[in-house]
Amino acid sequence: MPQATSRSDATRAVVFSPLEGAGRAELVEQRLTDAIVAGVLRDGERLPSESELAKSLGVAVVTAREALVALRDKGLVLTRRGRDGGSFVTHDRDAAMRMTDARVRALSRIELRDLSLHYAAIAGMAAEVAADRASDDDLASLVEVDARADLGSAGGARRAMSRFQLEIAAVSQSPRLVHEELRLQAESGPLLWLCLREQAYRDRSRQARVEVIEAIRSVDPPRARRATTDHIAAATEWLIDEKSRLESPQQGPEQGRQPAPDAEDRKG
Amino acid sequence: MTTPVVNAADTIAHRIAATIDPLFALIDTWRDELEARLARTAEPSAAEFDPVVAALVRPALDDSSALITGAGFVAAPGFLPDAPWHLAWWLSGTNTFRAAADGGVRRLDAESDPDAEQFRDYTTLEWWRIPARTGTRHLTGPYVDYLCTDDYTVTITTGVMVDGEMAGVVGTDAYVARLEQELLPVLRESGHPCTLVNASGRIVASTDSRHATGALLRLDGLASVLAPLHEHQGQASAGVLPGGQFVVPCGDTTLALVFATT
Repeated sequence: MPQATSRSDATRAVVFSPLEGAGRAELVEQRLTDAIVAGVLRDGERLPSESELAKSLGVAVVTAREALVALRDKGLVLTRRGRDGGSFVTHDRDAAMRMTDARVRALSRIELRDLSLHYAAIAGMAAEVAADRASDDDLASLVEVDARADLGSAGGARRAMSRFQLEIAAVSQSPRLVHEELRLQAESGPLLWLCLREQAYRDRSRQARVEVIEAIRSVDPPRARRATTDHIAAATEWLIDEKSRLESPQQGPEQGRQPAPDAEDRKG
Repeated sequence: MTTPVVNAADTIAHRIAATIDPLFALIDTWRDELEARLARTAEPSAAEFDPVVAALVRPALDDSSALITGAGFVAAPGFLPDAPWHLAWWLSGTNTFRAAADGGVRRLDAESDPDAEQFRDYTTLEWWRIPARTGTRHLTGPYVDYLCTDDYTVTITTGVMVDGEMAGVVGTDAYVARLEQELLPVLRESGHPCTLVNASGRIVASTDSRHATGALLRLDGLASVLAPLHEHQGQASAGVLPGGQFVVPCGDTTLALVFATT
């Protein structure tokens, strides 16, 4: 059975693949890029030192240094020497847009859909389990998170999505789903919720939350899952369309874009 | 209800309470010391107060056999002028959250800048909200503590009062997995199927493998028997559910034992 053999070889290869070195600097770079583009790390903010960064991410100092150099080359980070020196986030709304567009173009449709599917697997399961496990207090805090959502800007709408999905994962009582939700928010959140640049999609995000809350209130796990995965699927369709717009030869990236003056508001 | 069953349930409930009570007693002594200290301090500051909290909680965290994995003081917003939002919280060596290489006790690095993305207003969280409202100690959880340790946790907190105002809460965390190790053998001893739930009916531990920790125990009438525990209103009393299960509060831990009688 050649298939079984290769399967087991592949699994073994993963077990013994190097943890340190190749690819790690890229991962660190991508994570910091996402955080800067998403506004989690703000303009002018001082990043941790190379050694602090290495320690908190669990990588070698050289790996952290390599990632910082790459960020500097991308123009996302500025390094100042001296007593008040260090690496500082430098990015504005235009830079953020350019970075996001570049990433949408760099990833294939297959990768974008796969990212979305992975996220739907996590968020959908969390919603399904949450519908069974939510206490009245949990329900009240979900309603509260939704009520506080600021749908007036893309940033506000995305923060509300993140908070709500994290709360859903917590209500599912699974530390692993919470970990994975947080990880995927950092990795794919900035891309997946690009549709929130448009007011219609912000309104849709509220409808999705209301639907999930209702499903949880009526202890209807399949409905909670469906409302969650449908919402993610709609966001993905927008993203794939956006990729087509960006790639279209008639409409270059600059003309093809929807006007989005509030795409990345800077409010904390 | 036959007397032997009632007695068996009572015995188990007492033993559950006896496992949790030392944690309550521990935070009560911390509260007393912090209140006495604050009463003597004209202008408390985080700089001055943090070492006091550290010295207080450290011995319990250093004990590797202890149930607890974190402990400390969380200040009321604005109470400490030099730190408007302040968590003075330490993690034990057994806490797996960003464990230090030397495996020792370390301080939790919490986001205290209200403008930061990761910042959470802790006064909205159950471990703050309930002691603030009821003035009594409270057991929160089991819950996923994504604010602090990212793990499945029970948190016990009580208010620290200065001049009739709540200056903050003092408290401690325990991993649910570690608690289960202690509690499940006790539950099994009864020989009856039994399940330990919190005041919301959430399962802490059960002898029945179909009852997952973290799930809600959905039984007719359970919510109304647990209501006094949930609201911290007076003493909850034992009750019998329409399905024949016997519900016994475990001392004043706000946990209850659900005891099948068949």
